[in-house]
Amino acid sequence: MTELEFNELSVTLKGRTLLDRVTLRIARGDFVALIGPNGAGKTTLLKAALALRAPSSGSVQLASTPVAALDARRRAALIAWLPQHIRAEEPLTGLESVAAARYRFHESHAQSKRAAERALERLGASGYANRRVTELSGGERQRVAFACLLAQEAEILLFDEPANHLDPGQQLDVYRLLGELWREGRSVLCINHDVNLLHQVGDATRVRVVGLRAGRVMFDAPFDAPDLPEHMGRLFGVEMDSVQGSEQRFIMPRTRSKP
Amino acid sequence: MRARTLSILVSCVLLLLAAVLVGPRLEGAQGQFIIWQLRVPRVLVGMLVGATLALVGAVFQALFQNPLATSDTVGTTAGATVGALFALALDSSRTVQGLPLVTVCAFVGALAGSLLVASFASSRSAHSSDVLLAGIAVTLATSALASGIQYISDSRALFAATQWSLGQLPQVGYRGVLLLAPLCALSCALLVLLTRSLQAFALGEDLAHSQGVNVPRLRLFALGLGSLGVATCVAWCGPIAFVGLVVPHLVRRVLGSSYRVLLPMSLFVGAALLVTCDAFARLIVPGRELPVGIVTAALGAPTLVFLVARGRR
Repeated sequence: MTELEFNELSVTLKGRTLLDRVTLRIARGDFVALIGPNGAGKTTLLKAALALRAPSSGSVQLASTPVAALDARRRAALIAWLPQHIRAEEPLTGLESVAAARYRFHESHAQSKRAAERALERLGASGYANRRVTELSGGERQRVAFACLLAQEAEILLFDEPANHLDPGQQLDVYRLLGELWREGRSVLCINHDVNLLHQVGDATRVRVVGLRAGRVMFDAPFDAPDLPEHMGRLFGVEMDSVQGSEQRFIMPRTRSKP
Repeated sequence: MRARTLSILVSCVLLLLAAVLVGPRLEGAQGQFIIWQLRVPRVLVGMLVGATLALVGAVFQALFQNPLATSDTVGTTAGATVGALFALALDSSRTVQGLPLVTVCAFVGALAGSLLVASFASSRSAHSSDVLLAGIAVTLATSALASGIQYISDSRALFAATQWSLGQLPQVGYRGVLLLAPLCALSCALLVLLTRSLQAFALGEDLAHSQGVNVPRLRLFALGLGSLGVATCVAWCGPIAFVGLVVPHLVRRVLGSSYRVLLPMSLFVGAALLVTCDAFARLIVPGRELPVGIVTAALGAPTLVFLVARGRR
């Protein structure tokens, strides 16, 4: 049972508090959408889960072990990450980039390549296999990075705004794929700016929405909770409208809240 | 791609052979002596040094994710220079255990310079760009030290220092080859083993970390092994400019960036390039030899500009 647990986690950087006593548990099979204003500490939380940010107090536990104490390959088997920005300075091909993400496996290059081909295919990105990542657009590069995450075959998946850079059709595709991966038994922690996309994941009663502001958890509610719009309104400082569509409820900002 | 790789390999071998054969007509026993006792070992030294410098350049560029990173930017060359100048200021003819004092001091200096930077790199929180900055800081500090030594040296030591700093392939015979070969080979062989983790670095250091690469350890390994190889080369030949910088870019341009190709091919192209430049250095001014460092710099700088200009399009 692999669980990701933040216990009273605080992270400070140069005197600034990025996370303030965050306690959050992502159990096996959980889907957690993380929302919050810019600078709330969402990305920092993901980085802390990857041991890229050290706690100043509290802890991050992965499989009941402090994440920084895990062997790097072992950690990579448990948790994978799709960052928001992907740098591509080296003109590697898409296939080589994804094959490189198989680092944690002790296997031949031919095996890595086959796994990479499968991952690209699942993303509908086979066309990028022989193109250089430096020549891909932001959205295309994002899909190659997503294929990297798939190829890593980890149990817990972290996404940092996976719909960024994507057109509306692809945004729906990405969230549907997130749902598929979740139903296959993986746990998901996903930074999200448009909760309405979460309908694509399916099984809305089991999706949790966690609001983060100024490094603190403000709420942790099911996606279908009736008071979610109010929670979100307070989180972002806006008045939210809740609109019933043909199949689903849409939550949208109407105006700024009066101070 | 395979055909291209093969044709480059064949050209490298041809260039190496040509480098042994070109030169004034040689006949008789004296000719045999010049070819077998002077040229062949010199070509061998050139191959070892060229291959090592080029490979380390490719590895450092990958490690620091910076196209300008070479052994010159992480304190290795600067440390060697201080060591060599120190030895030359003392007495250029002295030897230690049969090795020239200059070589020993340059080697120690190179390792010391790299060690300073590597100690910084091993810290968990350091990012690659910080390490590169540390390297540049060490380089600047040591060049101040080098200027200081030059300021108090006499004119003969100054001349020797200038000669040394141009970089040349020395006439060290087979004994020199035997001294160079094990350290260069060790450093190169182990560096090539890092291919897989360097490949993961290509989409960013943090992503590589999340994929299971132990970043501080990789950095220490690569820095340590690279510095060992380069320190060996610089100790014998002085700082030879541009090979470590240009060769990886050249290979990358023709064959792409997969480190599975880039690293081994940098070895071959680096060897061929330095030996060819050295042949030029022997022949270009009749009756005199130029330091090979002048030739590599003269050819390397325009090549780099050309590559960058073409890459922009």
